[in-house]
Amino acid sequence: MSELLLFKDIDEPRLNTLSVYEARGGYAAARKALAMTPADVLAELESSGLRGRGGAGFQMGKKVSFLPQGSMEKYLVCNADESEPGTFKDRELMQKSPHMLIEGIVIASYAAGATRSFIYIRGEYVHQADILDAALAEAREAGYVGERVLGSEHSLSLVVHRGAGAYICGEETGLLDSLEGKRGNPRLKPPFPANQGLYQGPTLINNVETLSTVPAIITIGGERYAKLGVETSTGTKLVSVSGHVQRPGNYEIELGIPSRELIYDLAGGPLPGHEIKCWFPGGSSAPVLTPDDLDVPYDFDSLAKAGSMLGSGAVIVVDDSTPIVELAMKVAKFYRHESCGKCTPCREGTNWTVKMLERIDSGEATPMDLDIMASVQDHIIGNCLCVLGDAMAMPIGSMIAKFRDEFEEHIEAARARNGAAVAPAADEPLVHGAH
Amino acid sequence: MTFVPRLPDAQRASGWDRPADLEKDPAVVPEPGSVEVPTPLRSEIEEAMARYPDRRSATIPALHAAQDLHGWCSPQAIEQVACVMQVTPAYLDSVATFYDMLEQHPVGRHSVYVCTNISCSLRGADALLATVQQATDGEEEFNVRAFECLGACDIAPMASVDGVYVGPLQLSDVPQLLDDARAGRPVLPEKQLATRPVADPHANSREFPPHAVQEGKP
Amino acid sequence: MPRPEPKTITFTIDGREVQAAENTMLVDAAKHGDVEIPVFCYEPKLGNPVGACRMCLVEIEGIGKLQTGCSTPVKDGMVVHTQSERVQEAQKSVVEFLLINHPLDCPVCDKGGECPLQDISFGWGGGISRFIEPKRHFVKPLELSPKIAIDRERCILCYRCVRFSQEISEDYQLVLLERGAHSFVSTFDGHPYVAPFSGNIIELCPVGALTSRSYRFRARPWDVEDAGTVCTLCPAQCNVKLTVRDERVMRVLAREHAEVDDGWLCDHGRFAYPALAEGVAPASDNGAGPRIAVGMRVREPLLRDGGELRPVSWERALEEASVALKRAGAKTAALAGAGVTNEEGLLLSRLMRDGLDSPHLDSRVAGALPLELLQSLSDPRLQATVSDLEFAHAVLLLDCDPLLDAPILDLRLRKGVRRHGTTLERCSGANLEELRASAKRLAEEAGEELVIVWGERFAAGAEGAARVRVLLDLAAELSLADVDGAGLLEVPATSNGRGLRESGVLPNAAPGLRRADADGHDTQSIAAALAGGELSALYLLQVDPLAEGEPFAAGAERAVWERALERASTIVAHSTLLSEGVHEHATVVFPAESYAEKEGTVTHPDGRIQRVRQAVARAGSTRPGWQVLAELGERVGLDTGVLGELTASQALFDAIPFYDGLTLEEIGGRGVRWQERERV
Repeated sequence: MSELLLFKDIDEPRLNTLSVYEARGGYAAARKALAMTPADVLAELESSGLRGRGGAGFQMGKKVSFLPQGSMEKYLVCNADESEPGTFKDRELMQKSPHMLIEGIVIASYAAGATRSFIYIRGEYVHQADILDAALAEAREAGYVGERVLGSEHSLSLVVHRGAGAYICGEETGLLDSLEGKRGNPRLKPPFPANQGLYQGPTLINNVETLSTVPAIITIGGERYAKLGVETSTGTKLVSVSGHVQRPGNYEIELGIPSRELIYDLAGGPLPGHEIKCWFPGGSSAPVLTPDDLDVPYDFDSLAKAGSMLGSGAVIVVDDSTPIVELAMKVAKFYRHESCGKCTPCREGTNWTVKMLERIDSGEATPMDLDIMASVQDHIIGNCLCVLGDAMAMPIGSMIAKFRDEFEEHIEAARARNGAAVAPAADEPLVHGAH
Repeated sequence: MTFVPRLPDAQRASGWDRPADLEKDPAVVPEPGSVEVPTPLRSEIEEAMARYPDRRSATIPALHAAQDLHGWCSPQAIEQVACVMQVTPAYLDSVATFYDMLEQHPVGRHSVYVCTNISCSLRGADALLATVQQATDGEEEFNVRAFECLGACDIAPMASVDGVYVGPLQLSDVPQLLDDARAGRPVLPEKQLATRPVADPHANSREFPPHAVQEGKP
Repeated sequence: MPRPEPKTITFTIDGREVQAAENTMLVDAAKHGDVEIPVFCYEPKLGNPVGACRMCLVEIEGIGKLQTGCSTPVKDGMVVHTQSERVQEAQKSVVEFLLINHPLDCPVCDKGGECPLQDISFGWGGGISRFIEPKRHFVKPLELSPKIAIDRERCILCYRCVRFSQEISEDYQLVLLERGAHSFVSTFDGHPYVAPFSGNIIELCPVGALTSRSYRFRARPWDVEDAGTVCTLCPAQCNVKLTVRDERVMRVLAREHAEVDDGWLCDHGRFAYPALAEGVAPASDNGAGPRIAVGMRVREPLLRDGGELRPVSWERALEEASVALKRAGAKTAALAGAGVTNEEGLLLSRLMRDGLDSPHLDSRVAGALPLELLQSLSDPRLQATVSDLEFAHAVLLLDCDPLLDAPILDLRLRKGVRRHGTTLERCSGANLEELRASAKRLAEEAGEELVIVWGERFAAGAEGAARVRVLLDLAAELSLADVDGAGLLEVPATSNGRGLRESGVLPNAAPGLRRADADGHDTQSIAAALAGGELSALYLLQVDPLAEGEPFAAGAERAVWERALERASTIVAHSTLLSEGVHEHATVVFPAESYAEKEGTVTHPDGRIQRVRQAVARAGSTRPGWQVLAELGERVGLDTGVLGELTASQALFDAIPFYDGLTLEEIGGRGVRWQERERV
């Protein structure tokens, strides 16, 4: 690999302590940045072309520049609610190199003019949150966080906030509501968080990996960073590979390498004796791709062109031992469980989809139900308050489109298997309860 | 006409059929001091409130703290938090019921969250869950739950035992796992995520002694 | 605080150019072009849109995804499509999604016929359902509170009711529990939703999920008629719409008036009416006719005969009353209370001053204020309005508790604090120094737009006049009269307190707050004079100083009132429900109309003259109050010239200089503030 930025020293013993992190050059980037003007730091971020690593892939520098100028209180929120199925890269970073994240927050908050920052970490990451808390205490002690950071004019408070288990809190506005102490329901946009975010103040929200990359950008310079990767997907990216591969885990790659290289060379390819049936290139929200797509370069635009997305950078490989209906059911049930319930198409659409899949599985469906299911997915996509509904509808829609034959076979087999068994007793009421 | 068989309605949430008890008073913000709150809980909540510009941001930390004390977000726990935070119990209840980790019913003190999301289920999580459930059947001290993706697909199938991630688990690991939990020992030390180096062969600019990495809490 | 100043822009909707105020939400702006965009969750009264139901998706040129019309502010040149295939498909799909779990029990649903879900399904739905899975079934209906039933099967999770509880009444008792498709509306741990404004959620519910327990299954929309009027159960005078079936008021709904009630009602106003109109059912005395008892509705004239009230003919009652009053003459005193219209007030004032030559009448609870103070307080420039409460920099509540005195103001004050950052403080008139300090500090720190809302009790007692002087001085010092949006707002003790004073029910003023020929006893000294034998007759126009909760009871010690009523040789009362004092002491009782039976005008605390309209037939043989007063006048030799409702109102407009030239048409359904009329 050409250059590792995030994983360079990742397994250095006690890298999570300040002394080791500093010994490996840590916080030099923060010193460098604080000696620059915020505008210059922002310019570096913008020239790096760094795109958000959380899922949406929005240019980080541009996002910072959207924050209004002025003396109002501004916030920086680090989205550490990593909960997209298949994604576990932020966990590795926070657990092993928490200071890199804190340093990134210091630099980004300086560029954005934010003085209060929060790390919203999912509640399940107990160990990682403890590590972050300890690292933060050290950083505070050393003057990297607090009043007048390193003697500069920049002051910054940082709080590690633990969630309590809700996928939707990874959605940035759901996260804000949750951080404000409410149910994590996504908000209507506009207003965007850059204008009215946390406590109604201008807010910059970035993913752990995005912020952890910031020190490296300051160290090597935005332009040099931009030379890594490909034109619209610059830099290196952590990819979590899981499922039916021989070496599941996190890999730091330069964006733009062939997906095949990632899945076969790095992650060891499918388990012995099995073939890849389909794969999610960017978490379970991404439409599935097939083995035909393995040569698609792993970067934002190429994957979008192939009809899917890079998302959070989580490749889930599914081999031929798994029925597609079972996979669809897992996906649909997950999103039904995680739908916040605020908007209609997502709340009802995910629920309906699960019920249809259950019917397929129990032999009570016909191929016509596949058309209804596909149309339900179409009705969800683009019509919801946030992207959670789409996150189910896109993969399910892609599965129906790409594996329709298998769905139909499943329907027929299930009907043949269960056909006689499901007729209810004549006296069973169809409607329960009274009005 | 085609006969359409009906499935039983498996999807029910507790509370749907519950009326209000008209004998009760409305649940307004409790008067300060009207609810007895254990001092450590009170101070933990007050400290949490002080960390944020808006005290309500402390809702989740406060509910976590109350759950740690009471074992679940019981009405009593919620009333205590409401009294310290000066919000209505309903506000807290609506938050508590939104999040998976806040328990709505009394549960065992050892939590075993078995991830059953895609990557783990591709590697046998459903059988793992069944095995754990079977092995803990009737044991009240265990709170065994299927959980959505816990963010550790690299050690699939995995579980979070009292917050400690272990995996990849085999069905044969289950008895040891539960014994460790029962005995209050570190659970399956060699399978804890905390001790695992990254998978990327290119990572790390130097060689680090294997398994010497990461000592858990600093 | 700056108030919105709309700028008109032009946009295109479905090919039509339409003008609307800039930044109006598209669903509202579309109405200017006769285009209806369906909504469920959108309700501007509830604050910012939430975009949850997704019913209002429309296509806007230049934006890829469909947008929610409820949250898209209209801009100049915007081109909107609501009828394109894409939009229609999206709308159909949202209806389909909503109906997945909605039971099709419209035939037995209380909302049927007035249900937005029904209407929208019909207007925008696809007409078929592809959902063949079993629907959810729960036990229903369930009690949510003593007043409200909840049917969770029907709920479409539009968030309106919980937003009301959380963001409008701010009681935060009603919430959503659980998540996703499991979400449901509930309270904490089975506690009932009891709060001063809880009934509004019934009206907000766009389906039959929240229903009024008292109205359930009492009528169908096609059985009923709507009748607009004004609730006179408190000084807030909320505009209401009565649902009438077979000459009975079945329920009370809000008739939104941004300058009065903002579209909300308090639970008392919403739920109390039927009981107030019906009264306690009279027990029968072994076939000897209904027994006259406290709490019953008075439906015919009553006369004390042998120590007991007995029904008599109108002729007999009028004759007895007029003879007794004539005999007492100038020794008669009169009080007018809640629910009395301006017209009745004027006639009472005429009857007393011109007919009986007695100046002893009052509508204030305690202590007369010197006339010049009353006049100063009535200065139009000093008068704050209800909407001023919302936009003021600061509001000082002086001896006033909105929840008790005029509940709906509580919501308006909350709105100001919530939306515009109004500073709200309370203070007591007992410490005038503190009052001065608070007011000055607020004007200095929060801003010059200061509104002082004061309760009538601030001016009560021997110190009342001195206190009011301090208040007026303070207003002058802070130039409240000169600052737009600043001023004073008095909340009187009775619902039409302001109107009765203006129509002359005062011991020291003639109608129109003009100097009277003679000054008489005020409430307090009426009690004393009766108890002391100086006065001998008492006219009680919908008031009973001995009744529980009666503001006039505070006018003097109860013992004094008891003695006063005992010693009075004649007591003539107008009563809707028979109250204790009237039952015990009245000589003649005339049945009085409930507000739904009444025709006339009342004056809001901020000077808005509003019409009370008759919605149902008067109970029993009840005659209108004006008619009884005019008739008594005639019998004591006074020609009021009042022959009917119209002449009664005309007499009022003629008698009060600042009502001069008013017509009932001008007042109309929304009322008119006399201070804002061009003639003034």
